[in-house]
Amino acid sequence: MRWRPGPAFIILAAAACVPLLDQLLPAPLHVSEAVRGIFVYAILALGLNVVTGYAGILNLGIAAFMAIGAYTFGILTCEIYPFQLGFWSAIALTIPFGALAGFVLGAPTLGLRGDYLAIVTLGFGEIVQDVLKNLEVVTKGTQGINPLAAPVFGGHQWTSQDEYKWYYLMLAILVLVVIAIGNLERSRLGRAWFSIREDEIASRSMGIRVERAKMIAFSTAAAIAALAGGLSASILSSTGEPGNYDFQISVLALCIVIVGGIGNIAGVLVGALVMVGMNSIVLVKATAWMASQGIGSQGNVLLAPNNWKYLIFGLALVLAVRLKPNGLLPPRIARTRS
Amino acid sequence: MSVLEAHNVTVRFGGLVAVENVSFAVEKGQIYAVIGPNGAGKTTLFNAVTGIYAPSEGRVEFAGREQFAPLTAAVLMRFAFAFMAVAIGVVVGINGETLWQAAIVDNYAFLKPFPWSTAAVSWWSTMWSLPLSHTALPFLVGGSVGLGAAMVSWWRRRRSPDFIARCGVARTFQNIRLFNELSLVQNVLVGMDYRMKTGFLSALLRLRRFHTERRACQAQAVQLLDFVGLADRADHAAGSLPYGFRRRLEIARALAGKPAVILLDEPAAGMNPSEVGSLMALIRRVRDAGTTVVLIEHHMRLVMGVSDRILVLQYGRQIAHGTPAEIRANPKCVEAYLGSEDHG
Repeated sequence: MRWRPGPAFIILAAAACVPLLDQLLPAPLHVSEAVRGIFVYAILALGLNVVTGYAGILNLGIAAFMAIGAYTFGILTCEIYPFQLGFWSAIALTIPFGALAGFVLGAPTLGLRGDYLAIVTLGFGEIVQDVLKNLEVVTKGTQGINPLAAPVFGGHQWTSQDEYKWYYLMLAILVLVVIAIGNLERSRLGRAWFSIREDEIASRSMGIRVERAKMIAFSTAAAIAALAGGLSASILSSTGEPGNYDFQISVLALCIVIVGGIGNIAGVLVGALVMVGMNSIVLVKATAWMASQGIGSQGNVLLAPNNWKYLIFGLALVLAVRLKPNGLLPPRIARTRS
Repeated sequence: MSVLEAHNVTVRFGGLVAVENVSFAVEKGQIYAVIGPNGAGKTTLFNAVTGIYAPSEGRVEFAGREQFAPLTAAVLMRFAFAFMAVAIGVVVGINGETLWQAAIVDNYAFLKPFPWSTAAVSWWSTMWSLPLSHTALPFLVGGSVGLGAAMVSWWRRRRSPDFIARCGVARTFQNIRLFNELSLVQNVLVGMDYRMKTGFLSALLRLRRFHTERRACQAQAVQLLDFVGLADRADHAAGSLPYGFRRRLEIARALAGKPAVILLDEPAAGMNPSEVGSLMALIRRVRDAGTTVVLIEHHMRLVMGVSDRILVLQYGRQIAHGTPAEIRANPKCVEAYLGSEDHG
């Protein structure tokens, strides 16, 4: 079979051109820094897509695994701890540690059905935040951990000034995640996940080991979310406070998956672009423009587009569910012979 | 030799006895029919055989043995792992902060090389200086909880439907349960899944053996679709199939694991006479290909036409058993289906 670029790769190829576009446009219209943030959320949402989109398990605590990834990366690299690993080895350890965290949560709870499991994941999200806040000896409580390692490439230490290097690094990692998830989707495992989502009893009666397949989905999602956490901490050079990984992040990831197209990689990329892009590009630029034109006032919070983001999330979700219940880019119904 | 035997199987739901003391033996190569009025307990009997329900009493044997997931070395490893994981988890949860303080924080001076051996020593000595109520007790209690949970979950799943399927007993469902959003080929491949060998890593890295297996399995799946007459729709979504074809796809999916026995739950429901005719031919071909067939059916022409043996259930009890000719001549069976003559 000849390989043809799918919609996901067309989107990623377009993303690769964004820094070139930045070169042509005046500074106020530069977007590559914001797009870099979109990549991180796209990775997070791709992780959620594995568990919720493929295996049909509603996970409302994906942000907890992002937090675990960020703090693992922080503790492994920050110079206030003795480990002080570099970027690459810390990222390489963050992924299996996230998978382990997913396994620890999943092992006792994946036997629960639908809503009950969703509540467990919701609770886990809150517990992780509280633990990070209160385990001050290890996590520095609400201060967050910083500064964190940036990649070293060819003996050259990156700084936050190396904007485009960061951009292409994040894009490259996103591409790897897309390839990895695509490979799993089009395999025996992906098929088992779909069959569990469609009809768990039938799937079990056909000899699929449902618990095992669910566990792999859950751990894979946790590992990818931890990767997203490590990357975001690395970009910011700080884990931020535990409250940064709250329920809103989990909901944002879920919105990306639902609005974009549940169970479809390209859809999730589009969802991340729409949801996060709206928040970090359109609203930010609109606020800056309005400020420069003297429209609106600092006193009235409703007149700053920056403050509209949850309004827009809510609207987008309602509109998506009402008009495009399968998302902007729904998965093809009959998949090819994979 | 019997491939499938039930001995005095009883299934109760609270006070309701759905199947009471039913025994039967299916010989290799037979087509065996279970008939009875609605609510006689036929599907419940199938569910008890395939592990969806556990029989309240009695046994089900495949190939002369009662099948339970064996207590293998891998299962014992899992028990040991559950014990250690929860035990260590609880101890770390209770003492983590103290140990971290003693080992890492107290030994670390900013920008100085970290004395790993000193840290290990202080970690070790701190751990032994902790009171037993913080170490040994939670270790044992936590470990027992983990071990207990692992053992209970293994015990409850040791006759789960996926294990029964792996033993070579496949089934179809009365209310068709296809994976509607998957293509026909993929539906069949799900049935073939437990015969596949490649795992997570070969799928992730697309190793050569992944491609080899995929090609082989796809070819087999298309062959099976051809066997039930659906090859020309191989890439359509299962949900788009007309009703009569869905039953055929379910049969293909069930055959994909190369089972010794296939249980068909009302395969002719809702079919027109010509479809029933071709279904009868298909059932015979399945048997001729070496798979023993057990079917639940209301359609008398089909049952009498293909079955070697018939079991008749009424109100959960077995009222007759024999060849089609014997059943046709049995007044109790005629009464069960048509009502007694007294009621006119």
